[in-house]
Amino acid sequence: MPADPPEQFVNRVAVTGLGPVSSIGSGISIFADALFSGNSGISRISRFDPSGFPYQHAGEVVGFDPAHYLRRLDPAEWGRSSQLAAAAARLAVADARLDPHRIDPTRAHAIIGTTSGESAVIEAVTAQLVAAGFPGQDPALLAQLPANRIAHAVSMELGLEGESLTIANACSASNCAIGYGYDLLSDGRADVVLAGGAESVCRWIHAGFYRLGAVADNVCAPFDRDRAGLLTGEGGAVLVLETFEHARARGARIYAEVLGYAVNCDASHPVAPDLDGISACMRAAHLDAGVKPSDVDYISAHGTGTRVGDQVEGQAILDVFGPEPPPVSSIKSMIGHTMGAASAFGAIASILAIDRGLLPPTMNFGSVDPGLAGLDTVPNAARPATVRVAQNNGFAFAGDNAIVMLGAVA
Amino acid sequence: MNGVMVRGWSALSSAGIGTRALSDRIAGMDLDTAPTGPDTEFAEPLPAPGHAVTGFDPVARLGRKGTSTYDRVTALTSVCCQEALEEAGTVVDDTTSPRIGVVLGTTLGSLKSSSDFERDTLVHARPYMVNPRLFPTGVMNFAAGQVAIRFGLRGVNATLAGGDVAFFNGLRYAATMLGHGRAEVMLTGAAEEFTPHRAWAAHLTGGTAAPLGEGAAMFVLTRPDAPSWTGPDRWAHVRGVATGFGAGDRSGAALTGCVIRLLEETRTDPAVVTTVLTGEATADDTTEYGPVAQALGQSPRRMMVKRLLGECSAASAALALSFLLAADADPGLTLLTARGRDGSVGAALVEVLPRCRR
Repeated sequence: MPADPPEQFVNRVAVTGLGPVSSIGSGISIFADALFSGNSGISRISRFDPSGFPYQHAGEVVGFDPAHYLRRLDPAEWGRSSQLAAAAARLAVADARLDPHRIDPTRAHAIIGTTSGESAVIEAVTAQLVAAGFPGQDPALLAQLPANRIAHAVSMELGLEGESLTIANACSASNCAIGYGYDLLSDGRADVVLAGGAESVCRWIHAGFYRLGAVADNVCAPFDRDRAGLLTGEGGAVLVLETFEHARARGARIYAEVLGYAVNCDASHPVAPDLDGISACMRAAHLDAGVKPSDVDYISAHGTGTRVGDQVEGQAILDVFGPEPPPVSSIKSMIGHTMGAASAFGAIASILAIDRGLLPPTMNFGSVDPGLAGLDTVPNAARPATVRVAQNNGFAFAGDNAIVMLGAVA
Repeated sequence: MNGVMVRGWSALSSAGIGTRALSDRIAGMDLDTAPTGPDTEFAEPLPAPGHAVTGFDPVARLGRKGTSTYDRVTALTSVCCQEALEEAGTVVDDTTSPRIGVVLGTTLGSLKSSSDFERDTLVHARPYMVNPRLFPTGVMNFAAGQVAIRFGLRGVNATLAGGDVAFFNGLRYAATMLGHGRAEVMLTGAAEEFTPHRAWAAHLTGGTAAPLGEGAAMFVLTRPDAPSWTGPDRWAHVRGVATGFGAGDRSGAALTGCVIRLLEETRTDPAVVTTVLTGEATADDTTEYGPVAQALGQSPRRMMVKRLLGECSAASAALALSFLLAADADPGLTLLTARGRDGSVGAALVEVLPRCRR
């Protein structure tokens, strides 16, 4: 029963630039080639010493060199999540052919999602604490801790002076960021929004998921009958969103349109997903975007590869869409669970599907889960398809669900 | 956008727990009160005392159920939300709960929870022998999520890591959700905990102008034309809120610009602003008041709530609004501002409504 949105919120919202910094490659053309080839970004963990852990693999951005991307920020002053966000934002504006100096900086916002903020910095200062007590912590590292700096890194790198906001809604945070950016553009408070997410691989997140029984050894196989769990991942993923008016005035290429979104909360369990909450979020997203389930051509799944998570998501899709839902794939089979960046990577994959007429595959798919019969997971190979409307799922701890709807532009 | 209405609120701070404790403290008006806490026994030494919430027993207020994993910021937030919802008289049932959202401002959640979890991976012979039930507490959205679970609030649930400006981010986010019809009620505020981890981080990075503080302030917000189930009272009208960013020494100009935008958007004559609540803590510090006065073209009365309640980081501006609502005197049209140390700025224009002043 949501109220009808007021009529003055009429600006259409365009996606004009895509900036992925990922374990399967950075920059949109390299990322897209890897994505549609089904490449794996999983490797043995190098960001921390994993030798004490039974499982030792993750989706790291191996060899990430922030100085290669950043023009204004001094990487030494910023944590890894901030570096990844700012690098992704640089790639996104380059892809959009948007000169940040030629926009009104006060009407350009940076809205960036994260799960654990500067988690690798927390890891580093905690190691110092354990070794030498609180006074032994490095002030320069402590100064990098505040999570608000992740969005500020984007604002500072690009010279943006509008809102600079880090949304910390865990693993659906970057869908929340895209959604909030959509609102700011649609109601006229922004010309441009850099929206996305960033996350770093770190020891305590790996340990936490492992102890929840949610981590796989070295293969993430979403929706597979024998799926064993997720692999943690990292990266930065940022989209350039603009009003149609702003994009067209500068002659920008428009990849796709943000049709709408929905956010809700299961309000039931700190970590377990809830079928009713997720189904309600899907229905609300369709309503907000003005589409019917039968209009949806592709679903980019949250699909972490855990037994319960995939079961609940798949069941919710079957409940909402009926026995023959549109194709559903999870790119986490390639890049792992990039948490705060995951939904933004999912959005990029959805937009590429619309733009290229190609569905990203679910890799590592062996056999159909009898509990999810009817789900077409685009197994193991990309597939040509016309995608007019795509649904991008994001779910999180605390039952924070966020779903963004994306559409082709005629 | 026509702003948002404050329909009820509560606050926890070194002044005490709840609206009356804050009113009583303000009536006594011991500005520059000596830091009183914390009264919690920490295993680790503290660099300095702080303005902590004392005599706080979350189990007594929330019950044993569900609280065993709570860290301090989650307990402060939960109790504050319980009180604010009661104060507002908002009806929470199966019909209304999907229309009630939560937005909580923070700096990085509980640094202690995240760091303690990491610590366990370092000190145990087997690094994975951590307590899985404590894992979600290390993730920033734990407190807001617990509020949703405890009180059954199924609308949007947002955690905004805005640091010093978080409450302004939260007001703007709430106004957006309400204005776009995505929620009917937004339980909006910010919280920050006093722990050795935060105290040492503040101390080692140059200290704070006021002694470190902690607290939470939560406000039940609606559109001006909200349905009756949202509650009977109207405490204040937040006419508008603006945020911005300026790198390095550009943040002063960003704050001036932010206030000018706010005045324009709300069609407010700057001459009628009578009071400014800033985030400074000493009279000779005008790094925030200066740019604000420049935007206003006049120099209204300045109040510095941090002198009373300490440096509460993300919660400071939320506590400043609670201070305004708890004070007995009519403050006139008031501007709340913040200038964060990392370059973000925020401002909100607040009109306290007379018929609810107590």
